[in-house]
Amino acid sequence: MSDPSVVRRARPLLGTLVEIGAVTIDGASQATVDAVDAAFARIEALQERLSRFIDASDIGRFNAAPADACIDVGDDARAVLRAAAALRDASDGAFDVTLGSGARAWRLDDRGVHKFGDAVRIDLGGIAKGHAVDCAVATLEACGVASGWVNAGGDLRAFGDLAVPIELRDEVAGGVRRFATIEDGAFATSHREGPDGIVRHASVAAPRCLWADALTKVVVATADAGHPLLERFGARAWLHDSPGNA
Amino acid sequence: MRIVVAGTTLAALAAAPVSAFAIDYLTLEQAAQQMFPDADRFEPREIGLDAAQLQALDAQGIRGRSARWTVRIARHGDTALGVVVADAVIGKFELISYAVGIDLEGAIRQIEILSYRESHGGEIRLPAWRRQFVGKTQAAPLRVGDDIANISGATLSCTHVTEGVRRIVAVVAQARRNGSLGP
Repeated sequence: MSDPSVVRRARPLLGTLVEIGAVTIDGASQATVDAVDAAFARIEALQERLSRFIDASDIGRFNAAPADACIDVGDDARAVLRAAAALRDASDGAFDVTLGSGARAWRLDDRGVHKFGDAVRIDLGGIAKGHAVDCAVATLEACGVASGWVNAGGDLRAFGDLAVPIELRDEVAGGVRRFATIEDGAFATSHREGPDGIVRHASVAAPRCLWADALTKVVVATADAGHPLLERFGARAWLHDSPGNA
Repeated sequence: MRIVVAGTTLAALAAAPVSAFAIDYLTLEQAAQQMFPDADRFEPREIGLDAAQLQALDAQGIRGRSARWTVRIARHGDTALGVVVADAVIGKFELISYAVGIDLEGAIRQIEILSYRESHGGEIRLPAWRRQFVGKTQAAPLRVGDDIANISGATLSCTHVTEGVRRIVAVVAQARRNGSLGP
């Protein structure tokens, strides 16, 4: 609103606040608002299929299924689980969507997701937000928005001819500090406990938000901002000095 | 991908001043119009909850919090289309105001965030800090050229907003039952 050339909206989705900014399509502010609405609708649809809190979602059905079941899943679950499997294998299990309940006790193939143990539970919390951001960006572009951004609770992507300033939240005391500007790329931050019990604060920049989001978990888990996986995805990482660190 | 880091070192980041952050998305009027585009007016209506009604909400696991609510009834001519209710919640560091549009069947039509304020330090707990935003519909940008700045941080939980929305849906349902929303 402070800049009339940008339509900027936020809604509670994916368990966080999702913000969408779209530079107004030439002379068509209603078309821009419609594009933003369509991008929110895309995220809502994705949430319906990927949330572990929704029994009928692809993930809800997988989690409720007995061992040896094969769950047919939609394209979004396939895209995210394919990436999750690749990251798990490449990170020696440091990236694990089962959160320890069976990192290798599931497999995705043409038929669906196979489950190899009753207790295996999938939680896409560490990667689905990034995918949702990528999908919302694709929707905006398909609707004719040339530049803008999508920010799902700190996992964000900017596209088009726009340099978006990034403010890094101080996770301990509150407030923000200017960290960087990003153009045509994604940036995600994580502040969580690694497997060694130490809380780390890490950010990753990558061309796609799915990778930025997921790779922050690898950096936190391995405490390695130079992890070899980063280069493979064209990513760059930072481990922030956090007063919360031991 | 092009990323330009503000400082040359992370030490420079640590030394950077901590600032607050504020964004206004929509005024309540704009949000209401978007939720009910066919409405030609929004009629304010006070809903008062008595002790028994607050207790009934408690029994549903919803803390009534406030005994007085202002709702806006969306009307096209004499026909009611639904209601819009605004509220604000505070989290660990943030103050979020939002509006909920509810149709005549009591179903949520839309939720829009109206504004977002992030404090630094413990100021969010200070009534004076919160009061400065009450009734404001549009704040000046923080710094010139920062209109599009985005926060990155560990995932912000929207639990407070979700709870607030549940509370509003319950309050509106109760008001409808006891007739205080009128015809």
